[in-house]
Amino acid sequence: MQEAVSNSDSSSIMKDWVNKYSDNMFSWALHKTSSKETAEDLVQETFLSALKSYDKFEGKSNPKTWLFSILNNKINDIYRSNFRTPVVNNFSDLTSFFDEKGQWEPEQRPLNWVGDSEHLLDNQEFQTTLSQCMHKLPQNWLSVVQLKYLEERNSQLICQELNISATNLWQILHRAKLQLRKCIEINWFKK
Amino acid sequence: MMNKLMLSCKKASELIDKSDEIKLTLMEKLRLSFHVAMCEGCKSYRKQSLFIYKVLNRKSKINPENITHLENNPLKTQIITKIESLSK
Repeated sequence: MQEAVSNSDSSSIMKDWVNKYSDNMFSWALHKTSSKETAEDLVQETFLSALKSYDKFEGKSNPKTWLFSILNNKINDIYRSNFRTPVVNNFSDLTSFFDEKGQWEPEQRPLNWVGDSEHLLDNQEFQTTLSQCMHKLPQNWLSVVQLKYLEERNSQLICQELNISATNLWQILHRAKLQLRKCIEINWFKK
Repeated sequence: MMNKLMLSCKKASELIDKSDEIKLTLMEKLRLSFHVAMCEGCKSYRKQSLFIYKVLNRKSKINPENITHLENNPLKTQIITKIESLSK
């Protein structure tokens, strides 16, 4: 008969795991959320939930796998709850991209990006610029972009989860892309 | 006839992103290709919209094993302190 793990045992195991895995988890959460504060909160919450439900772990899976599955659930929750945080949909922003006839405003007109080639996809500095631009998006648009492109969630599912129409979805993605495009142009291609 | 074919840049850029999600009608497709053929700004927009999709898609292919490993020792200390205070 195995004795129940005592409180002090589980907490010392957890401390060992913090030393072993927290850097990796923090790097991952940062990659997923592009926000240091959010990433730190998520990692801490993950260990606290793991400590609470330690008896469910049973050593069946690898601790790292278990911790990452908790972390990934929390990341997904963040995307969803961020969508619900009320942000004024600043659709009037759109008017600043186009004149009253619907033509690009001169300074908003997309330039021909020199060097927007495949190699940029792996450029670390470019990724940083991209993350910064993503975080300038309204919180609820960012959630949609994250679910659609980073989680590669099926559009129908996103609409269900966020309770929006298919038209709503592409309009949000479109507006997000207009802003991202502008931000990338200013902070990368014009520099 | 010309008026029917002419889209504004606002509408054209919308259709570019809409086409990723919803099948465009034949008329929409015609008007869009007609517009893009003549408009450098929207031609660039179409390329950039695809580029943004590609960089984000590349980002999604990264998994925990191949991200840049960062150290965060203050976080470790903070969590360990928290765990200790809870197990007392």
